[in-house]
Amino acid sequence: MHRRDFVTGAAAGLAGLLLAGTLAPATAAPKELRILTWEGYADEPWVKAFEAKTGAKVKITYTGSVDEIFAKMTASKGQDFDVIAIETSSYKRLTQEKLIQPVDLSKIPNAKNLLPAFRDVSAIVFDGKPFAVPFAWGSIPLIYDKKVFAQAPASWSVLWDEKYKGRIIAMDDANNAIVTTALLLGYKDPFNLTDAQFAEIKAKLLDQKRFVSTYYAGFDDGVSIFAQGGVDLMMSMGEPQAPMLQKKGVDVGLTIPKEGAIGWIDCWAISAGARDPELAHAWIDAMLDKKVGTYISEKTGYGNTTNADANAAIGLTYADKLVFLQAPENFARRIDLWNEIKATPVE
Amino acid sequence: MTDLSLAASGAGPMIAGAPSPHRRQLRRIALRLAVYGLPVLLILVPLATFLVYSFWTTVDGQVVQTFTLANYIDFLAKPVYRGVFIGTLWLASIVAATSLIFGYIIAYLVWRLEGRLRYLLLLLSVIPLAMNYIVKIYAMRNILGYNGFLNWLLVHTGILDTPSKLFIFNQTAVMITMAVIYLPYAILPIFLSLERISPSLLAASADLGGRPGQTFRNVVLPLSLPGSIVGALFVMVLALGDYLTPQMVGGNQGFTFGRAIWSQFGMAFNWPFGAALAVVLLLSVVLIILVAAAISRHARVK
Repeated sequence: MHRRDFVTGAAAGLAGLLLAGTLAPATAAPKELRILTWEGYADEPWVKAFEAKTGAKVKITYTGSVDEIFAKMTASKGQDFDVIAIETSSYKRLTQEKLIQPVDLSKIPNAKNLLPAFRDVSAIVFDGKPFAVPFAWGSIPLIYDKKVFAQAPASWSVLWDEKYKGRIIAMDDANNAIVTTALLLGYKDPFNLTDAQFAEIKAKLLDQKRFVSTYYAGFDDGVSIFAQGGVDLMMSMGEPQAPMLQKKGVDVGLTIPKEGAIGWIDCWAISAGARDPELAHAWIDAMLDKKVGTYISEKTGYGNTTNADANAAIGLTYADKLVFLQAPENFARRIDLWNEIKATPVE
Repeated sequence: MTDLSLAASGAGPMIAGAPSPHRRQLRRIALRLAVYGLPVLLILVPLATFLVYSFWTTVDGQVVQTFTLANYIDFLAKPVYRGVFIGTLWLASIVAATSLIFGYIIAYLVWRLEGRLRYLLLLLSVIPLAMNYIVKIYAMRNILGYNGFLNWLLVHTGILDTPSKLFIFNQTAVMITMAVIYLPYAILPIFLSLERISPSLLAASADLGGRPGQTFRNVVLPLSLPGSIVGALFVMVLALGDYLTPQMVGGNQGFTFGRAIWSQFGMAFNWPFGAALAVVLLLSVVLIILVAAAISRHARVK
């Protein structure tokens, strides 16, 4: 959903499958930490510091998609990696398949640095035990052209306003579209929808389609279409799109409407097959150092979970207004609904 | 030279480096393995993986490896996927037809030229093939877009007062962009099929009193049409699998079968259904290629 461009899940997934098959079981020095994560979450400054402090060697594998993480983890029942970073809605499946183990917070003194909004994220707690620790976050906000809106639009309903017909773009993502619409409709649990709610959301999204100029397919794609002109509003894929647009000379604002917005959190988790759980806990502890959080926010524009000032500096002060992603009741059904919306012709 | 080698082979020991028959055979086997094995490994194995996956199913986000036809039944039962598939076939057919007509006109005009100019123009018409496909789509978007070149031109010349949104994010935009991207693929085979027509036939037609129009109708067109249709079918195959162009310039009407396949991977984790859809697409491509092969065989017999 975030950090996703035209790398198709299919290609990445297949490549992951083939790769995973060829990976021989690693036989390395005893003190080695094997990390599976996203670009930007294991940068040199803190990797070097961690190696110096623990004497361990860090081996990083970068991933391009959630699919790939699952392919690599299931191929070896988690034996190939010690820690992974993945977004909250994947934890249900990770624990179902027993690919990760609970985190022992007593071994993570830096957990005291966690900001209140990230202290008890329900999506990563199973059987009363935490299975991950929040690290970086962001949202699916509304981005608008300041030339058109003197004040930020108060509600998501602006995306259903006849006035902006053909001047709205939305992201091509089933779950984000459905959950955001559920928030607008005031549903209490946007991750477990009833049949009636599904029907209502479908009608609502079909109604919206008349006003949507296009469903864009990635971070850069959305920015490029907005910058082309003729667009007033965008259901964004994430915060970094706003500075990207500013850089292209479009004066945009970013807002979380009153109904709230989707939030995503990438969390560190320990693989079920971790060779050295102690070392894995030490890594997560090091990641909760405020210096790391500050760096993440300054460098990537994503929110961090430990330093409120660094978040405020880039405008991410609304963690408490977000509804953090959980695994939905039935993903296939949501995909089918979204495909139906996209396939239905409108005048 | 020959004396020397005869002397050497007669008297001396065997020349070092000359492989023994046994070694030569091994080498031949190794070479065969490389020649046949690599394509099998790189092409057939992934395809076979897809085929196998398409008969499995997912339960609670986990692939269950029991043989079932459920995915194919789903495809036929769900009007969304059926409809998108037919829509995409239709779109690809239109792109193929457009490429055939315009490609033929351009190829014919180039073919009628004399000498060096002919090949220079042919080169110019296929230069876009060397450009990256994504760059081409973005370029088209910059031409057709709201603040694009076309609108700038129309506003500047006073034809329009304000930029129009008619050229981008609709079916027209998809057609224009696809035609631009795929035309070179059609021009080349059409030109080649014109090139194969022997000049003596044209001369004979003229000698027998055929007017240029008659020569074209009775000689050039029948001889070049099969090759041209094959070129158009080739374009159809390319257009069938292209989901990026519609996605990027088609606006809220840019949903195609390729994108439907894409949607089953990633967060959806529905690889078996995605694989089944991919197999359906692959089968239609194979079918088109078979038709093209039949046409070119048929033409050759004549």
